[in-house]
Amino acid sequence: MGQPDAAPAIAGRLRTIGTAAIFLALLWVAGRQTDFSFVDLWTGANDFFGFFLRLNPDWRALSQIWAPLLETLQIAYLGTVFGTLLAAPLIFLASFNTTANAPVMWIARTILTLIRSIPDLLYAAILAPILSIGPLPGVVALTIFTMAVLAKLASETVEAVDPGPLEALRATGAGRNRMIVYSVLPQIGATMTSYILYVFEINVRASTVLGLVGAGGLGQLLVTYLNFFDYEGIAVLIIVIFAVVLLIDAASVYIRTRLL
Amino acid sequence: MIEFHDVEVVYPNGFKALKGINLEIPRGQFVVIVGLSGAGKSTLIRTVNNLVVPVAGDVRVDGKSVTKATGGELRRLRSGIGMIFQTFNLVKRSTVIRNVLAGRLGDNNALLSLLGIFAKSDVALAHESLQRVGIPEKAFVRADALSGGQQQRVGIARALAQRPSIMLADEPVASLDPPTSHSVMRDLKRISREDGITTLVNLHFIDMAREYADRIVGMNGGEIVFDGTPDEATDDVFERIYGREIDEEHDIRGAA
Amino acid sequence: MADERASGRAASVPPLPDRARRSIVLQYVIVIGILGLAILSLYALDLPSWSRVVRGLENNMLRLLRGFIDPEWGTAPLAITAMTETFFMAVIGTTIGAFLAFPLSFLGAANLVGGTRWAFPGKTLLVAIRTFPEILLAIIFVLAAGPGPTAGIMAMGIHSIGFLGKIFADIIESIDPGPNEAIRAAGGNQLHVFFYSVVPQVLPEFASTTLYRFEINLRAATILGLVGAGGIGLPMIQRIQFRRWDEVSMLLIVIVSVIIVVDAVSSRIRRRLV
Repeated sequence: MGQPDAAPAIAGRLRTIGTAAIFLALLWVAGRQTDFSFVDLWTGANDFFGFFLRLNPDWRALSQIWAPLLETLQIAYLGTVFGTLLAAPLIFLASFNTTANAPVMWIARTILTLIRSIPDLLYAAILAPILSIGPLPGVVALTIFTMAVLAKLASETVEAVDPGPLEALRATGAGRNRMIVYSVLPQIGATMTSYILYVFEINVRASTVLGLVGAGGLGQLLVTYLNFFDYEGIAVLIIVIFAVVLLIDAASVYIRTRLL
Repeated sequence: MIEFHDVEVVYPNGFKALKGINLEIPRGQFVVIVGLSGAGKSTLIRTVNNLVVPVAGDVRVDGKSVTKATGGELRRLRSGIGMIFQTFNLVKRSTVIRNVLAGRLGDNNALLSLLGIFAKSDVALAHESLQRVGIPEKAFVRADALSGGQQQRVGIARALAQRPSIMLADEPVASLDPPTSHSVMRDLKRISREDGITTLVNLHFIDMAREYADRIVGMNGGEIVFDGTPDEATDDVFERIYGREIDEEHDIRGAA
Repeated sequence: MADERASGRAASVPPLPDRARRSIVLQYVIVIGILGLAILSLYALDLPSWSRVVRGLENNMLRLLRGFIDPEWGTAPLAITAMTETFFMAVIGTTIGAFLAFPLSFLGAANLVGGTRWAFPGKTLLVAIRTFPEILLAIIFVLAAGPGPTAGIMAMGIHSIGFLGKIFADIIESIDPGPNEAIRAAGGNQLHVFFYSVVPQVLPEFASTTLYRFEINLRAATILGLVGAGGIGLPMIQRIQFRRWDEVSMLLIVIVSVIIVVDAVSSRIRRRLV
């Protein structure tokens, strides 16, 4: 029996204070480098709301919007479908309990990490001049991005699966593919569908703006409006984008809660 | 016929699970392996289908080496060896019949089975296996809706669907209550007799071994300490299998 | 022996129960439907001709790929400076988002405001905020307040409020009510409950989520420059437009390296936190 140790408590305190200090210093440096001050927060917020209040939507623009809107949804849909198809083999190669061997697993994981480090819009921006402006670079960009994101999410689920049935199937002499189909897929089916819907959400949000770099959809219309300073058109576009994303989000959440 | 030649197994952490096992099991024999946890029973059984790979020695099934087999050869050998597990290892969300059909996967058309399409003879065999273990009516029920004993029976049916010449059972009844345990053991013994399947069963307790085995193999510390008929498994044999470890390594009376 | 037995009994396969048959048919219908819709969409899209695509690939892809093996090192200093600015933008944006989300999240947490109905407006506000794609917010800020990293920071900040706020609210709703009760039983008031039970429980997860958002914001910050909101996006889009692929590769290498490192460090910290 004795006094509780004073040393560990102080060490913990110091660590917290130290972390906070480093963080504040980082913040300060960041502010200096980007010419940002907290005054800007206030003026920025003002400008933001001011902009909205000045918005005067010209609803006639709606007729121009339907076609690009459809294209936007198509891009998101195709990106999700193709991305999922391509992700399927990668997922199982990147998970330790379903992979063929160690080197293959590391290659798969590295590829996925690299692909995931580039944001979807950047893929679209780079692919647009290569594949010619239009929906194609959008679809390809979203496919690549979907592949990487889905593979990461899914492989975490696959690795957490009950290993018992896998062992049982291995014992019957089933090959790797059959083992996956019969013992892993049934366990992850519901979760996977949920992830795919989540990725579709992200893709819809992304595809609304991919056109900014020439990858089709509503974004392309946005560029046109910006170039012509058609603020009324932009206003309608913003509202439409907002509504679409909101709807898809809500639908996705609804389906996902029903599934699980 | 299963032969073990100087089989040694060392786990990655350095633990010697099997220290030079030599054993010969003729076709059709019902062998029960007993011993404490960690004695090497599970390891021994898993060297027969190479789920555990020995660092030395060789395990042969009907003259063919399982230890040295790889790839397609290994899968073919495994398809003739059925295995049942303490935790049943069924795919909980799949139906019973789908679980049993998984037993046919070692051995049939690649593409079709990936799509879930089995030959009619396979499906018939699966249903028949369920009938032989006494639960044909549960075919289309979800696996996790069954009781423990029924789930283990599905496991047996899955192994049966392989039409195996060898059956490995790793603590098949450890998760079941006594009456269900006896019922499952009875079924195992019956099927082994009917089909002439060489059966290796791991059990914790020697009383059940005495009741069902043709031959009892006792293990302790990675070695075989007894090999004989149930009649020969007297009480001092019991001590040899279970007692020595307690005296020397697990005696805590003198602990500080 | 088993063979004889199998052929002796008639190949008796009991029929599939209706429920099972229906679910199999449904699965096939769904899969075929999804793939069919995809093919239809592909047809309906305004896609360039195959020869155009091949030409584009020939002219550009090779140069881009070659650029990864032998990048234009001259661009490296610019890339690093721009990426640093991008990094700082993300730091500030995430911080703003987290700090403002903190109070807002409490308004959206059912167990703090007294029920799901009261939490509804708070939650809706948060969801509404995060529905805006960041790029769109960035465009608005550039239009409203002029180009530069500030626009990007504000865009990220506001979007993050929505994102983090919603997740913070979910975290708050998932805490263990036990300690709350204990404090109340010992005589504490609502404020005590708040500081001694709720906050300590949610802080680690808040921090972890914020770091996760930082990872995402860093990626977003790299492209906000495309619309003039600062960071490495502007130099990047310029070089793409001029087809300077070897310089693009250099920029990409810098971006990917920084993001991979940040992700790794962030994962480490997050694992320690929760």
